[in-house]
Amino acid sequence: MKLEQRHWVFLGLFILITLVMLIKVRPDISVSNQTRKMYAYIDSLPSGSILLISFDHEASSLPEIRPLAQAVLSHAFEKGHRLIGMALFAEGTAIGYRMMQDVAAQYGRNPGTDFVYLGFKPQFIAAILAMGESFEQTFPEDYLGNPYRSHELLTTVSNYDDIAAMISIADGSLTTHWIEYAGSRYNLTVLGAVTAAMVTTYDPYLASGQMTCMVGGLRGAAEYESLLGIEGGGSRGMLAQTASHLYIILLVVIGNVIYFRSRRGSK
Amino acid sequence: MDWSTLIAGLLTLAILTFLYRDNPLYKIAESLLIGVSIGYTLVIVWSSTLVDLLFDPLFSQGKMALLIPFILGLLMFSRFHRRTASLSRIPIAVMIGSGAGISIPVMVEARILKQMSATVAPLFNSSGIPDISSLVIITGVICTLGYFYFSREQRGLLGGISRIGTYFLMIFFGTTFGYTVMSRMSTFIGRMEFLLTDFLGLTR
Repeated sequence: MKLEQRHWVFLGLFILITLVMLIKVRPDISVSNQTRKMYAYIDSLPSGSILLISFDHEASSLPEIRPLAQAVLSHAFEKGHRLIGMALFAEGTAIGYRMMQDVAAQYGRNPGTDFVYLGFKPQFIAAILAMGESFEQTFPEDYLGNPYRSHELLTTVSNYDDIAAMISIADGSLTTHWIEYAGSRYNLTVLGAVTAAMVTTYDPYLASGQMTCMVGGLRGAAEYESLLGIEGGGSRGMLAQTASHLYIILLVVIGNVIYFRSRRGSK
Repeated sequence: MDWSTLIAGLLTLAILTFLYRDNPLYKIAESLLIGVSIGYTLVIVWSSTLVDLLFDPLFSQGKMALLIPFILGLLMFSRFHRRTASLSRIPIAVMIGSGAGISIPVMVEARILKQMSATVAPLFNSSGIPDISSLVIITGVICTLGYFYFSREQRGLLGGISRIGTYFLMIFFGTTFGYTVMSRMSTFIGRMEFLLTDFLGLTR
């Protein structure tokens, strides 16, 4: 078993994260303006407002998406909002259903009256546009096959006019379609809970006001948890996140020092 | 420990073995992931698209208008035979035509007009003080567009503008890369938390 240079780098990171996770220290988290804005927006809605939650992600991003989604769902249920769940990615369907059930159970919310999960709809653009006309025609049945009208919550929901805002929980560019089709065409307020890799994609939409607010990455989840006063996956992972970033910065510095030294040596 | 945690833990370790080098354990885990993902997606799409939206309404409820998309869908398969291949252009034309018809107005509105109006926000606020954010945005947009202007040699004023444009581009790429590293680290940390807590039971 021959170890090369990159193996030592991986091994170093593995040992560092293991050690940091074994230490149960929670760093102080300063909350960014964006997270505050998102929290304040959901908080400012009157209790009982109807929010549409779309699970637009794949299973591979679950470690980052789960803390984000749980924080946002916890806040919404805690405030007494009523939630309609759905998915535009097939892989996110069962994950979204399970997450919604779990968080709703923690807050004692009942299916049918406090939340409904509609399930997956293919062809995202067609689905978003169709929901602008009629939720019932787009989803004649919920995820479990119950008729749309059998849920008390859905009897008052025809289209986006009856929704206070939608939250896209995404690891890709699907939130863009919510902004462009539901936001621009039907004036639906779009909020985002996205992976860190997608934050720069959505910044221009925040700046232009097409997206109302956004919370991003594990850091965003940790910030949201600190506002809620709960400990979740976000805050648990923050020390490891900080340590891993310092480790990468250290490696970059060492790499540059070695590079410039070798260049000076060759001259 | 239940079976699902045991299987998930072993498969996570199998995937992590790739960090040493490619090996059969990694291949098995990778193939399982791809197979399960495709199988799951196929089942969901079959039931929620073909059965719910086409077969049930057409054959059980007799909604004959659905014969049109059904036939258009079947025509897609005409590509497999040389003599009938040209028929597949009909559904492709319908898809491209309707897709463009729906998307173009929305794209012009959401990606061009609204973004442009956000870019040309007032450079001074109501009390006459320059708005730094607006100044940076307008400078960045003009300089970056200058960098992509290839109809003239990039010397003199245009050369200076395009040089500043490259700095804006580098800042954007650096920020995006930083966020991507953060995202990948979060994924790794999530799996490590699972291994240490659920799988090995070292942290509770």
